[in-house]
Parts: sequence; structure tokens; C-alpha cells
Amino acid sequence: MATYPQSQAYGHMSYPAQAYPPQSYPPPNYYQPPPPPQHVYYADPNHFRRDYFARLAELTVNSRPIIQGLSMTAQEYARYADIVVNCIEQHIRRVPPWMKLPAFYLLDAISKNVFDPYARHFIPIVVRLFLDTYEQVDQSTRSKMEEMLLTWRTGAPTGRELFGPIPQVAIERQIWGGESTQPAISTAQVLSELEFVLGTKQRILQTNPYDKQTQNHVNVLFQLKKLVQAGVSQAELSQILTQLRTLAPAPAAPPVPPVVPVHHDSQALYQSSVSVPPPSVPQSAAYPSSYPQPSYGNPSYPAVKLEAAPQPVLPASSAAVGPSSAPAIPVNISSLFSSLVKSGVLSSSSTPQGAGNITDNKESAPAVDASQDYRSYILSLGIRLTSVDIVKQRSPITKLLYDNLSNQCKQCGIRFSGDAAGKKKLEGHLDMHFNQNRKASQAAARGYSRNWLVGIEDWLHDGAVGSNGKGRIDGSRPKALAAEVAQRDAELRATFVVVPPGDEAKLISCPICKETLKSEFMEDDEEWVWRNAVKRDDRIYHATCHAEAMSSKSNLAVRLRSEISGSRSRSRTPEVSRTPPRALGLHHEDAKTRLSRSPPGSPAKTVGTKRKAEDDEATQKSEGREATPPTKKVALSS
Amino acid sequence: MSSEAIATSRDWVLGAECEYRFELDQGTSLAIKLTQGQAEIFGAELVEGKTYIFYEECKAAVYTWQGCTIQIRQPSTEYVSEETPMTAYANLHIAFEAMRVRALDRANGNMHASDTEDTEPPRVLILGPENSGKTSIAKILVNYATRAGQNWSPTLINVNPGEGGCILPGTISAASVTTPLQTSTPAHTLGSSATSAPAHMSSNALVPLAYWYGHADTKRNPLLLDRLIRNLGENVWEKLADDTQGRVSGCIIDTPSSFAAGSGNSEQHRQSLIKACVDAFRINVILVVGHEKLNVEMQRTYGTRMAVVKIPKSGGVVELDGPYRARVRRRQMQAYFYGERFAPPPGMPALASALAAAGYLIGGEPPADFTLAPASSVIGFGDLAIWRIGEETMAPVSALPIGATRVVSEMQPLAVDPGAPSAGMHGAVLALLADPHPDETERYDEEVLDLHVVGFVVITAVDVPNRRMTVLAPGQGSLTGRTAVVGSFEWQE
Repeated sequence: MATYPQSQAYGHMSYPAQAYPPQSYPPPNYYQPPPPPQHVYYADPNHFRRDYFARLAELTVNSRPIIQGLSMTAQEYARYADIVVNCIEQHIRRVPPWMKLPAFYLLDAISKNVFDPYARHFIPIVVRLFLDTYEQVDQSTRSKMEEMLLTWRTGAPTGRELFGPIPQVAIERQIWGGESTQPAISTAQVLSELEFVLGTKQRILQTNPYDKQTQNHVNVLFQLKKLVQAGVSQAELSQILTQLRTLAPAPAAPPVPPVVPVHHDSQALYQSSVSVPPPSVPQSAAYPSSYPQPSYGNPSYPAVKLEAAPQPVLPASSAAVGPSSAPAIPVNISSLFSSLVKSGVLSSSSTPQGAGNITDNKESAPAVDASQDYRSYILSLGIRLTSVDIVKQRSPITKLLYDNLSNQCKQCGIRFSGDAAGKKKLEGHLDMHFNQNRKASQAAARGYSRNWLVGIEDWLHDGAVGSNGKGRIDGSRPKALAAEVAQRDAELRATFVVVPPGDEAKLISCPICKETLKSEFMEDDEEWVWRNAVKRDDRIYHATCHAEAMSSKSNLAVRLRSEISGSRSRSRTPEVSRTPPRALGLHHEDAKTRLSRSPPGSPAKTVGTKRKAEDDEATQKSEGREATPPTKKVALSS
Repeated sequence: MSSEAIATSRDWVLGAECEYRFELDQGTSLAIKLTQGQAEIFGAELVEGKTYIFYEECKAAVYTWQGCTIQIRQPSTEYVSEETPMTAYANLHIAFEAMRVRALDRANGNMHASDTEDTEPPRVLILGPENSGKTSIAKILVNYATRAGQNWSPTLINVNPGEGGCILPGTISAASVTTPLQTSTPAHTLGSSATSAPAHMSSNALVPLAYWYGHADTKRNPLLLDRLIRNLGENVWEKLADDTQGRVSGCIIDTPSSFAAGSGNSEQHRQSLIKACVDAFRINVILVVGHEKLNVEMQRTYGTRMAVVKIPKSGGVVELDGPYRARVRRRQMQAYFYGERFAPPPGMPALASALAAAGYLIGGEPPADFTLAPASSVIGFGDLAIWRIGEETMAPVSALPIGATRVVSEMQPLAVDPGAPSAGMHGAVLALLADPHPDETERYDEEVLDLHVVGFVVITAVDVPNRRMTVLAPGQGSLTGRTAVVGSFEWQE
């Protein structure tokens, strides 16, 4: 979730300590968000300017809460856009180089997330500001600015240049020496070089199947290939190309004693047994790492789109050895990059510390501990449920309701525990606010209405989810449920359909979401498959889309099932999808469920981030409804 | 801020465990800003620096555990009290938390050898006479549970048809609550049901299960209420069976004051309704608010099976009269269809021009468009099946001549012809029900009694010659073929 790095990624960490006294930027671990911004109504622009400027001054490190707070304020005060833009420009020009990047992240966040009117207000100043800043900052900050610049290419809600083509080209030409005017590197060119290197590596591997380094290279190259096929930006293509060329002449790895156990993660072993140093990579322009991850749950963010494969998939013959566990979950460039580094394809010296790499997996254990602590504490208070105890005792209620929950949302007052887990929850919670604000601004003109209440089946089994597709708004789904949903989702994504021979290169799109199904090679079965796919009635659907469609009208589905159960078996009966009149004939039931599930004008359906939530919801509901026939949604799209 | 605005505002410094109470007259509104310290309204915390707006005769209190300063603009009545029962309510909360963590332990299979205690989560019935603050206590207890940081999602159940809970009066309902219930208007004392507008607090977008009783007074048809309570209870249980976190979070049940005192015939109904609640929701804690006699009675009846706890009544409870309650009901119905209409106190920027302002919060939501757009449509009499439960005016059985029995039972659904001279459908509030069982053979005469509510409509015009009527519905959508039940509520523009 965290786009803006909170700890490792501070651009100034490489600065000599004596130059910047430590007290000016406290160690990340102890960094606390500043006191709440005073949310007052600014009738006076000057007052607003003063206050916004003062709050900007707090943006000394790359702090997500501050950036979010400032961009929320910017959103709320869109009519003062000129003031906000002016403040940010002044701020960036005024502060020392190590403080400039966070402010640029703010500029970036506001332009992308609020877009109108901010993007056009930034246009007149952004080129000069970017280039002036670029000159002043150090190499690692520059690479981060370059990453950001890349995301601007498609940063506008329309998928176009965030600040328009002219500023974009102007900046790129300056910093990359007119690269963008050169003939573009074609995806095909990179792919062909990739294939070449891959072929070489595979031959090495064939002669020496225990060569772990080469095996790693092959795995990474496979991922890289998929990534390129999925479509990456020009700069990324050129980066990949550069790296490929350094890799190509790499000497074959020496034979490794055959006793090496086949174990993928034996890094120490691998390092000690390989005598050839990994090929080094020239310190060229930085590799675009993870910056373009979805942030703030904003769907318009240019996440790496793995679904859209512009290139036909290569024939199976070229991929005799595939990664043993092809990741079904989208690979982002940063994870690929880190695996490139790990496997020695890249040297880590040129690594830009990617944003958003701070996810820790150790969360569940402390969470359990925390709830155990809470349990013991509550029980130790020993307040009995009697009329006397209730009145006589004095309890440490403030500790429970306030002091132990020090991470407070400044928007609505909800508190989270003071530890890292609480902080993380708060971040998710802030994302929710941001999304709701954005929805409110987008949908304001459409008018709202009261929802119909949900049907009994939905209430009984799905009561935690709002009738218009809202999840629990604070995202605090019960853990068990979330795990179940995640598992279900993973199962769905793991389902696959074998590609019929000869159809490997055929582009197939899911009839529901209209996105292309990605084929990949399954090593175990030595077959090409479509992942996350199900075949129903001779059509291939995304398994997740299909499950969603199946359950989105669970009432209808249940009813359909009970209607047809008399005449037909309860098997997965695709015939139903060919008989829309039957579905339509269900008088108002459909209208009702449609209303209760997605009221007219509901913004939920139009926002991409909701998709995932609905997926979860859908998968959760599809539990135990295996036999439900495809519903009208499917039927209509046939 | 302009100097004019400052002139009309006033700062109050509250000591620890003090309460600032305010009451609004009709047509006024109030703004409260917490400028320092920590404060809460019925257990929902206020955010420092935000301006909270209250309107429509709202009567509430800002309580602080540790002291605070608040800035107030123009209340009708205000005072500060140092005596509150909040300590007792906090102790109740902690006692319930102990029950919840034990229940969660058991649900997770971690039985502790030392635990010989009960491992049932708290399922709390709150009883008390009129104006004893039952609803406020329910709200505080639910809010504290949602604020515990343990992901509790307590089920708030309203069995008082005189108050609408999170939807309309005339219903009884249950909803799972995950964020604190906000206070801004008496039209939404226990949260608000979902609209298509984006909500920041899930308590403003609740998804309740509701049954339609149709009247404000529980004495009007106690048998029907009894049956609806049991229906609601069954479904609540079925839901919680699947939802561990919800189950261990427990239930809080708000009741009408008629459960607390009765005489003659209604005494018997009162006791049977309490019993219906105890059975339906498997109550294991009864709270009696400031009523000695009732406490003794409950101790005697249920004391051996569960905890019966007498709790103090707040001195801040406002005596609400009948006309006030009627006005609140009218506003609840209007708010259901049209959303909220209010203006900030004079001297503050108008809401329309301040839509982008950061400062305002209304019921926890930043200012946005709170108005809703209902849909009005003309349908034929035959398009909507309208029922009435029992006779419109029904004398109690005891009032009938000796030996006489009722021709129409209290529980019998009667089809209503809107065109009939005595139907009185003009201005009637109808509950739209879920569809009857799809399988004809599974249907039964009294099925209408067991169908839950999906929404409400109002008949705003009846055209008898053409057998058509104009129906106001919350949103678009066909009403043809639906089932609706009329009660005794009337729509007033």
C-alpha cells in the first residue's frame, strides 16, 4: 500500500551527517506525524496561504500522512488552486535539496489524484521547477525524480501525459538528452534480444542442470519477458536492453558440484559456490523501480498493466524451461528488480531505493500478541457485572479508549493502536477517506438516493458489506473472513484453462471485463494455459470475473436454481446462459436486486479500486454456491 | 475567520469528567469545535479542530474524560454538569470487553485452564422508563465497543418501533456497527441506513435488517411485535453463526419504555415482549436504567439465569413530550426520502459556499451534498399488493363484550383496496417487503408477517376514477408486483 517510502527511502540518507544536523530530521523509526493540521474554514485566502505554507514546512521527510493531509486540503480548497500551486513552488525552490523530493511527491500526488484544476495550474511552472530541482539534487534523488517523470507520461485520468505532451517532452529531452526524440526502441527488438539471452542461458542450464545462478537468471529472464510482453515504457525498455547487453557476453557459470541440494532459497550456498562475480551494470540512468505502484488506491495510477498484452505470446517451443512457480499475481518491476539483483543479474550499487518496499510480513504475530495483551489487561481489571461494582469501581477507561490508541485519524477521529500495525491500519483508513472524497467530488452532480435495503440472503451472509458494494468502510473485515476471502481468491486465480494447440498466439478477452486473458507456460504440465480462467459454455472467462458475476445477483441465482431444479440437474448448467428470456422473465426480482446491489448513479461501479473489493465480496459469496448457473450478467454479455 | 463570527461564539473549558449539555429549539442549529483536549458525544470521539454541526432540535452532550476546551456557537439551552453516570457506563463497557475477549478466546479454541467463567459474549437488553436515556446508553456502549481497537462489530438492535433506529419509525431492526455512531440530528440517533452517496463512517451507511410493525405504540398490536421480534432474533442468530467477530462482539438491544411499566392487560403483554426479546436474542445481561421496581422484578424473573444490573440514569436526560417525538418521526421519514436539510448557525459561512471547506463535519461526514433525490411515479392500484395487518382500529380483546370473539384476528393480513372509500391511503407510509417465497406451495396466509422490509414508499395521491395512485419511492425502480404493508404512519410534507 505505501507508495511513499516511510523509512528507508528518504532521499537524504546518503547525505553526510555533519552537513545536516541529525536533529533536523529525526530517525525514521521515531518519526511521528506532526500535530493535527488545524482544520478551520478559511474565508480569507491569505490566511489559507499562510497556513498551507506553514504545513508545507513540515514536509521535511517523505511522510505519507503529511503528503496525504496536504493533498486532501488541496482537494478541498480547489478554488485556491493557484495558492496551493504557488506555495508548493515557493517551498520547493526555498528548501535545501534533500527536502525537495517529498514536496515533488506532493505535487505529483495532487496533480494525479485531484488532477483538475491542479494539473493545469502546474503546467506553466512544472518544467522549470523540475529541471532546476533536478540540477540541484544528488544522483539517488534524480533517479527518483526520473521514476516520477515516467509516471507522468500516463498520469492523467485519460491515460495521457499528466501535464500535457509539451512539458513532458521538454523535461525528458533535457534530462535524457533528447532520448524521446530518437526512434523508439520497439518491444519486438527487446524481446528478440531477450530470447537470445534466454536461449544462451537455457543451453548452459541444459549442460549443467544444477547451476543455480543460471537457473535464477533464466527465471528472472522469463519474468522479464512476460513484463515486456505486457508492455512497459520506453525508458524501461531501454534499461532492459542495456542490462541484457551486459548480461549476454557473461561467461558461462562454472560447474557446480552435483551435491548441491536443489533448493531455491539457498542464497548463502549459492554465493559461496559461485566463483564468477555477477556481471556489473554500468551506472547509467536509474532503473525505474517501484514508483508507479497504485497509490491511494487510485485506479488512474499507471500501475504496470500485466493484463494487457500487446504482443502475441511466443510459441511454446521457445520456452522449454520455465520458472517452476510462475507467479500468478502481477509482478511489479520492483520485485523483479530485486530478484534481478538477488540473482546477480544486476549489481545493487545502482539500485534506487524503491518506494513502497517497506511491507513487512511479520505483522500477524505482533497482532496476535497485541490482542493477547489486550485480553490479559481487560481481564486483570476484574470489573464484575454487578450493580455495586459498576458504580463503585474506577476504571482506566481513558487508557483503553485514548492512550493506548495513539494513531488517530484527523478526519473522523477513529483511533488505531500506537504500534506499527495500528499505523498501517491508519494508512488504509486514510486511503478510504481519500477515495470517498474523490468519489464525492466526482459524483456530486449525479444526485444521490436512499438505497433499498439488502435482501435477507445478502444480509445473513454478507452483512458486513454495504449494499452498494462498499466494504466495511474502515476496511476492518474480520480476520478470519479476510483470510477465507483471500484463500478463495487465490484459488480462483490459480484455476486455469489449457490453451488449445495452435491457439497460443490468439488474443482472447474475458467477455465480462473485456480485458485480455494472459497465457503462460506451465512447466509442470508442459502446457500453455490461461491463468485465472474458467471455461463456461465454450467461452473463456476470468475466474474472478465469472465468480463475481455468478454471485452478484445471488438472489436471482438462488431463485433460478430453485426454478430449474425441478426439470434439470443441479450441475453447472451452461444452458441457462443461452436463455436470457428465462432470466428476464423473473419479473421484478432482477430490478430489485440490481437496485439493492448497485443503485443508480452509484459511483462504486465506475471506480477501478472497487473492483477488488467486489472481487472479494463476490468470492466470499460464491462460497457454497458452486452450482449456481451463470446469471443474467453473463447471459447478456454472451 | 471574520470578527463577526468570533463575536457570536463562546469558549467553554470543561474539567475532567464533565459534560456540556445543549438543547436546540426548532429551526436552530449549533456548531461545536473542540479546540483543546479530548471529548466525545455519546461515546463517539470528536476530532480537534473540526466544526461539528447539530440541528433539528438535537439534544446532546459533549463529555470529556480528561478535560477539554470547546467553542460553541448559539445553542438554545446550555449548561455544564459535573455529575454524570459515565464512570458506570465505562465500567459496563469494560465488563463487556472481558466477556468479549473470553468469547473470542473460546471461538479461537484457546481455552484457558484458569477460565471457569462463562464464555458467552454480552447480549444486553436495556430496559428503563420513558426519558431514562436508554437509547443514549445503547449508543455509548456500542460506540465504546467499536473504539476498543479490537475490530469488534457489535450488533445494534432496536425493538422500539416508536423510534426509527437507523431507518424509519414503525420498524424493528438490527445492524452490525463497526464505526462509532455519530450525533447530529434526532432523525438519526442510531446511525443512518446506506445511500448512494459515499460515506466516510460506516455508521452512516448501515445495512440493517428490518421488520415492519407499522405503529409507534407497542400496545397497538403486541402479538405482531412479539412475532417480529422472534423473526428478527432468528435471523440475527443465523447471521452471527457465520460471523465469529460479530458473534463475539455481542448485541446491544434498545427497547421502548412500554417494556418498563404497564398496567392491567398491557402488563401481560409487556412481560411477554420482554420474554420474546430474552428468548429471541438469547439475552444474558439485562440493564435496568434508574427504575428500582423494574430492577427487582427482573431480578426475580431472570436473576437466576443472567446478570441483571441496575445502572444509574443520567441527570442530563431531557424530558421529551409527545409532540416532540412526533416531530422527530416526521423528520425521520423526510430524511429517508430527501436526506438532510439544515443550515449552519448564523454568523458562520453558509454550507453551500463552504462545501469545499475543511472545517465542517455533519454526523461525522465532511460537507457534501446531503440531499437525496427520491422518485415519484404513477402506478395502477393493481400494481402494488397492499396489506394491512389486523383491523385498522382494533379494540383490545378485553374491551369486547363478554363472550364475543374477534371477527378479524390481530395477525390476519387484509388486502387493502386503495380505491375503497375507507382505505385512507392518501399520505400513507407503506413498507415495501421482500418478495414472498418463489415456490407457490411454500406460501402461507400469514407470510406477509414474516417478510422483511426492503424500503418504504408513500402514497402521495390517489386517483380513484382511474384507479391510479402516485407513489413516492426513495429511488428509481419498478414497484409493479411488489408487496407492501400499511401501518398507522402518515406522511406530512
